[in-house]
Amino acid sequence: DKLLVVPQDGSHWLSMKEIVEHLSERGHDIVVLVPEVNLLLGESKYYRRKSFPVPYNLEELRTRYRSFGNNHFAASSPLMAPLREYRNNMIVIDMCFFSCQSLLKDSATLSFLRENQFDALFTDPAMPCGVILAEYLKLPSIYLFRGFPCSLEHIGQSPSPVSYVPRFYTKFSDHMTFPQRLANFIANILENYLYHCLYSKYEILASDLLKRDVSLPALHQNSLWLLRYDFVFEYPRPVMPNMIFIGGTNCKKKGNLSQEFEAYVNASGEHGIVVFSLGSMVSEIPEKKAMEIAEALGRIPQTLLWRYTGTRPSNLAKNTILVKWLPQNDLLGHPKARAFITHSGSHGIYEGICNGVPMVMMPLFGDQMDNAKRMETRGAGVTLNVLEMTADDLENALKTVINNKSYKENIMRLSSLHKDRPIEPLDLAVFWVEYVMRHKGAPHLRPAAHDLTWYQYHSLDVIGFLLAIVLTVVFIVYKSCAYGCRKCFGGKGRVKKSHKSKTH
Amino acid sequence: GRLLVVPMDGSHWFTMQMIVEKLSHRGHEVVVVIPEVSWHMGKSLNFTVKLLLVLNTLEDLNYHFKFFAHNQWKTQEVGMFSLLKHSGKGFFELLFSHCRSLFKDKKLVEYLKQSSFDAVFLDPFDVCGLILAKYFSLPSVVFSGGIFCHYLDEGAQCPSPPSYVPRILSKFTDTMTFKERVWNHLSYMKERAFCPYFFKTAVEIASEVLQTPVTMRDLFSPVSIWMFRTDFVLEFPRPMMPNMVYIGGINCHQGKPLSKEFEAYVNASGEHGIVVFSLGSMVSEIPEKKAMEIAEALGRIPQTLLWRYTGTRPSNLAKNTILVKWLPQNDLLGHPKARAFITHSGSHGIYEGICNGVPMVMMPLFGDQMDNAKRMETRGAGVTLNVLEMTADDLENALKTVINNKSYKENIMRLSSLHKDRPIEPLDLAVFWVEYVMRHKGAPHLRPAAHDLTWYQYHSLDVIGFLLAIVLTVVFIVYKSCAYGCRKCFGGKGRVKKSHKSKTH
Repeated sequence: DKLLVVPQDGSHWLSMKEIVEHLSERGHDIVVLVPEVNLLLGESKYYRRKSFPVPYNLEELRTRYRSFGNNHFAASSPLMAPLREYRNNMIVIDMCFFSCQSLLKDSATLSFLRENQFDALFTDPAMPCGVILAEYLKLPSIYLFRGFPCSLEHIGQSPSPVSYVPRFYTKFSDHMTFPQRLANFIANILENYLYHCLYSKYEILASDLLKRDVSLPALHQNSLWLLRYDFVFEYPRPVMPNMIFIGGTNCKKKGNLSQEFEAYVNASGEHGIVVFSLGSMVSEIPEKKAMEIAEALGRIPQTLLWRYTGTRPSNLAKNTILVKWLPQNDLLGHPKARAFITHSGSHGIYEGICNGVPMVMMPLFGDQMDNAKRMETRGAGVTLNVLEMTADDLENALKTVINNKSYKENIMRLSSLHKDRPIEPLDLAVFWVEYVMRHKGAPHLRPAAHDLTWYQYHSLDVIGFLLAIVLTVVFIVYKSCAYGCRKCFGGKGRVKKSHKSKTH
Repeated sequence: GRLLVVPMDGSHWFTMQMIVEKLSHRGHEVVVVIPEVSWHMGKSLNFTVKLLLVLNTLEDLNYHFKFFAHNQWKTQEVGMFSLLKHSGKGFFELLFSHCRSLFKDKKLVEYLKQSSFDAVFLDPFDVCGLILAKYFSLPSVVFSGGIFCHYLDEGAQCPSPPSYVPRILSKFTDTMTFKERVWNHLSYMKERAFCPYFFKTAVEIASEVLQTPVTMRDLFSPVSIWMFRTDFVLEFPRPMMPNMVYIGGINCHQGKPLSKEFEAYVNASGEHGIVVFSLGSMVSEIPEKKAMEIAEALGRIPQTLLWRYTGTRPSNLAKNTILVKWLPQNDLLGHPKARAFITHSGSHGIYEGICNGVPMVMMPLFGDQMDNAKRMETRGAGVTLNVLEMTADDLENALKTVINNKSYKENIMRLSSLHKDRPIEPLDLAVFWVEYVMRHKGAPHLRPAAHDLTWYQYHSLDVIGFLLAIVLTVVFIVYKSCAYGCRKCFGGKGRVKKSHKSKTH
């Protein structure tokens, strides 16, 4: 069958790629739609690429990603932090919008897509270009999503009580105090505003293309959501039948270490190794911070493998090895892995859970703070504030997760729960993509909630109606009682009245 | 591992038995607690069975159920309340009384205690399983078609917006008119008001046994995994919780070759094929007048009818109708000559119909059967008849419609292909989750934090109240200070006006 893939550049692509490769191995014909200037969307034997022009060049792209990465280390006041985070994300997000804009206006690409009879469209709805294309091409679609930003998968369909479902950016757990619940309530309102900021331009773009008024949640409703969740990590909450949970797709794949890394690991002796990576998106750290980190790393007995492409800190200790790239999952899977220093992106977190390695987390942006909080509440890691932390903090955190047995025990418990499942998440993802291709969508999983207005959904009209009836009955009963009373005690009443008028 | 099973008698046991047998095959030590007196349980079981001494006899059981079932041919009870209140009451009281005798049987309780089970697998239709799980503090897996009352909302903390989730026994679909939504809402309120009263006996027994006052919510909230005998080909999409597993169609499997007797019937049916007719394992007799009407209608269609019926033979039975005491339902439905299925629309029968892609004529009698029939009807895969009101003509027309109108066959085939297209077989899924709970001593990471909130906290009423109070206070202060400011600024004029007024007075 023919599958059109509209991916999101950057780390999001890593998990989608795995599913796409698996689908390709199963004999599907796959076309990946890529902007001609991109970061990770390279050539592959697994799929054909169809590129479309974008109004920026590679240099601008790299500059934007670099400044996006570096800005996370710039100090700012706590009050300004949300604004900074927003502006910083916009550096990258704006570029996605430009790329989408240019795609939806490129008639050559659009007619290519129309002429090729695809069976389904597989996309990442965080940037909703693929969502709009699916509607334009009238293709059934499948989304791959982490739930961030804005919990798009729940909008308009699943109940999300603010009382125990923490919103992103709040860093709350599912057990909240009253002030936290208050803040979560407000965060929920702000999330609506964020949604508006991020997506209203896309709605205009879609309206232009489809020549009618479009709201994005209305485009979502016929799709199936593959969610990179697992409730070992996520807090339990109401979900819908059109959601498939495939957290930890990258868990199973395990290769042998290359000779280089094998040698490092073997040389580490009884103390073992610590893996350190801040993800594929951040590879440079301001010099001062890097030196502090290097100092802390030098104080522990383990061998450090640090993925770092910036300039070598001058105080780097002997036990620390800088590498441009490392086989993260394979290293974490090695029995000598003692700890994992991570930015707590969702891929890294799941690799840590999968291999049962306690974590020291330095969240930088997006959902990473919330991810770190989830691992911390489960006693499987320690979170550091990357802006404020000192060499001592990092040293202590590392020693804690390595020497305090409870961290290892907790992560091993999570790991065993995570890996105990009736079907491998990658197989599940592949199954549901094929399911949508086979059945041209999954309309029987679409909740009727989508056909209701918000006041109907919350039964406000029904409650209003019932209240009106009750009030009418009460009113009538009251009036007739009053009338009855007047009849019975009428004499007295009038006497009193006449009395009154006399005294007047 | 060691598993304690507390099943429910009747047709409920059929699918549960499949799971329990598979678990036993996989080497688990399974102990099933069943009453001494039962319909289907305790027959040819290859695992340990603990018999429970009960006061009533099989006659009592039959009497209560027959009283209930026969009532369905006289007046159909609509809605949860009338079902639980009237004809079903005696039956439920009998069920609850089993639980009392269980806990009085000290030897049995001691045995269960000594066995140190890893988990309980139970059918919550009989509340006793929940009480046992709580009494022994064991993690539990419930296995159910649907949970009565609002105990799914409360016990699993699973939201069911009454705007598009029809209440159980309401016969509504997921698309309701305003009027239907009002009724749906009212039945939800009725459940909240009356269900505690209905389950009073059960709760009393639980409180006695646990020696602390408990509510139904307390009994349901520790449940680790909720397993439902349904799927979203039949059920309307609705919110669910991460600890819910849907295993509908567990009984959908390849039909076995037919016995010679049935093979002969089917072959003799010619091009018109056969129609399978069964009102389930629980109902085998029909009032004579009704039976004659049915027999008349059946005689008017060209197909061969295979009717599972143990009552007296209707005098007007036509040649094309064959009465049998028992029939291999799934195998017959799986035969390419099966043209239609007349069913009481119990969930087992419905799933066998879906599985084999046979359009249905449905005569719902009690329990979830009306709801099942409604679901199949809205999907265009069957026609529902009201057993009380239907005439021979109605049944004849219904049969001709589902057989001759192509759309019914197409719809049921579409449902069938969706139903059978799944990443894992439901039986394997069921076995997996029972074993999961045994392995991990429950599934606490799937327990929503909502259980720890009061109802007003859950709905954030305290937060909203607090915010409202702040807003009102601010408005009040602003208003007061404005008023004060105004008085200061225009003070003179104000006083002048006032004095004017007092003058005119």
